[in-house]
Amino acid sequence: MDVQVHELVGAVHEAAWLPWAVQYFFLIAISATALLMALPGFAFGREEALPRARLALMTAVTTGITAPIALLADLHQPARFWEFFVYTHTSSWMAWGAWIVPSYVVFTLGFAWALHRPAFFAMGQENWRFAWLFRWLSLGGPSNGFAPLLGGLAGVAALGILTYTGVEVMVVRARPLWNTPLLPLQFAATGFVGALGVMLVLERMLSRDGALEAALNRRLVFALCVVAGLGAIWLTVAKSGLSPAHSQALASVAGFTIWKEIAFWGAAAIAVPLLLGLIAPRHTGWATGLIAIHAAWMFRWTVFMGGQAVPKVGSGLYDALLPTGVAGLMGVIGTFGLWVFLLVVYTTFLPWTEAGLPERSHCAPRPARSV
Amino acid sequence: MDTTRRGFLSAIGKVTIGAAASVAGAAGAAEAATAEGHVAHWGMVVDLRKCIGCQACTVACIMENAVPEDAFRTHVSVYELVKDGQDPAMVMLPRLCNHCDDPPCLPVCPVEATFKAENGEVLVDASKCVGCAYCVQACPYDARFINHETQVADKCTFCFHRTQAGLLPACVETCVGGARNFGDLNDPESEVSKMLTENEVSVLRPEMHTNPNVYYIGLDEVLEGRVAGEAAYHPEMADHGEAH
Repeated sequence: MDVQVHELVGAVHEAAWLPWAVQYFFLIAISATALLMALPGFAFGREEALPRARLALMTAVTTGITAPIALLADLHQPARFWEFFVYTHTSSWMAWGAWIVPSYVVFTLGFAWALHRPAFFAMGQENWRFAWLFRWLSLGGPSNGFAPLLGGLAGVAALGILTYTGVEVMVVRARPLWNTPLLPLQFAATGFVGALGVMLVLERMLSRDGALEAALNRRLVFALCVVAGLGAIWLTVAKSGLSPAHSQALASVAGFTIWKEIAFWGAAAIAVPLLLGLIAPRHTGWATGLIAIHAAWMFRWTVFMGGQAVPKVGSGLYDALLPTGVAGLMGVIGTFGLWVFLLVVYTTFLPWTEAGLPERSHCAPRPARSV
Repeated sequence: MDTTRRGFLSAIGKVTIGAAASVAGAAGAAEAATAEGHVAHWGMVVDLRKCIGCQACTVACIMENAVPEDAFRTHVSVYELVKDGQDPAMVMLPRLCNHCDDPPCLPVCPVEATFKAENGEVLVDASKCVGCAYCVQACPYDARFINHETQVADKCTFCFHRTQAGLLPACVETCVGGARNFGDLNDPESEVSKMLTENEVSVLRPEMHTNPNVYYIGLDEVLEGRVAGEAAYHPEMADHGEAH
C-alpha cells in the first residue's frame, strides 16, 4: 500500500546532551588514548619512545583535566554531582563512569607527577624564587619507582574510559544511530586519531623534530586506516542487512541531503590526512594533525548532535548543525580555551622535557634557573 | 471507575440523587483499588476515533503541571494520511509518557531518580535528579525533556498528585471527545480493562518491548513507530533540504 504522511502538528525536541557533551567525549577519548600511547615509553622503559611519550603525556594530562569540567557543564544540576557517588545505580553505565572518570584523572595526574618528581625535587634544591613551590611539589624526595604502578593503574582506567564512554552511548536503543555495536570501537579509533593529531600539532609547535613528525604521521595513517575500515564494515553490515541495528541506523538518516554531505565530509576528513601522511610523512604535520583533530571532533559532533536531530517518533529532522546556537558555540570555544590555557601552563611551568624513565631521570641534566 | 469527564459528570449526577456514594468516582475507585490488598495499575486507553485534535489536553496539562513554554508533557500530533491516492485523511495521535512496565529510562538513571511508583507510574524524584538527561535519550517515545525552569528531567506523571486525591489526570478530565480514558488495568471491571477486551488495541513502538501502559484504539500502523513522512514546518529545518 502506498501511504504518504504529512505531519501537520508536531513537537520539536531539542538536544538534551549539549555541545559540552561532545567536548567531553572528544577530550576524554583523546586523553585516554594518549595515555595509552605514553605508557610504552614511560612505564615499560622504552627510552627511544620518550619524545613521543612526553607529547602523549602532555596531551593526556591537559585533556584529562579539561574533559570532566566539560562533562560537569553538561549536567543541568552540576552542584548535585556528588549524588553520583551516593546513589550509584549499578545498572547505569553513566553511574560506573562517575567512578571511572575521577579514578582515571587521579591515576593519570599521579603518574605524570611521579614522572616529573625527580625534576621537581632538583628544582626545589636550586636557589631561585620558586624553589619552595617545587620542594612542595616533590613532596620531599626524588624517588619515583612507583610510577610504573601508577601508569598501569591509569592504563586500566583509560581502558575503562574507552569502554564506558562507548557502551554508555551504544546501549541507548531509542537512538538507532547510537545503538550500534561498532560504536565503542569507532569512538576508540577516532580517539587515537584525535590524540595523534594533537601530538602532531604539539610536535610542530614544541619539538620540530622531523623524525618524530614522521613517526607520528605513520601512526596516524594506521589509526585512520582502522577508522576507515570500521566505517566500511559499518556501511557493509548496514546495507547488507547482516546487522539489523546497523541497518536501522543507516535507515534513520539515509535520504537526508544533509547526512549525505556529512558522510562525504567525514570521508574526506579521513582520506586527506591519510594520503598526506602516507605520501609525505615529513612536513605535513600541521595539516595532518589539524585535520585529524577535526575528524575526531566531527565524528562525535555528528554522532551526538546529529543523532539527537533524528526524531524518535516524529517526522523529518530537527536542527542538526548547531542546535544550541551561540551559547553552544561559546561552550565549544570556552572548552578549547581552557585546554589551550592548560597547555600553556604545562609547557611554561612544568619541566616536561625532563620527564624520563622512572628512577633514572632525576640525574638528567637540567637547564639552570635564575629567576 | 468513571474514566472520562462525561462518565465523571454522570457519576456526580448519581451521587447527587443517591447522596450516598463518593462524589469523586475516581476517589471511590482508588479506595476500592487499595481495598483487600488490591493494587491499582494505572493505564490509559486512547480511542483515536474520538480524538478531534483540539489540543485541550495539551493546554490542560500545561496549566495543571506548570509545563514551561518550550516543552510538552503531552500533545497531539496531527498527520495527513494519503493512502493509495485516495482522499487525504486527518489523523490525530495524542502522545505522552507510556508509563512502561519495562521503562528504558529507569535503568540508565545514574542516581536512581527515576522510579516506578506502586501504581505503575514512572516518576522522577526531582530532588535527586542531576539533570544528566540520560533518561531523555533512552525514552523511545520522546516523552521526556529537561525542564529549563527546574533543570531536571520532566515528564507526564499521569497527574500523580491528582490520582492520589482521587481525581482523573488533567488531560483525561478535559478531553472534549472522551478519547482519553484512564483507569485501573488490574481491575477487570474498570472501563479501561473492558475497552482493552472489547477493542483491537495497539501500542506505540512495540518493537522496543517496553510494555507500555498507554493503549490506542484505531491506531494506523504507519504511525506506530517513527513516522516516516514530511515533517511539519519549523524554521530551523528550512535549510536541511530533506529528500524524504
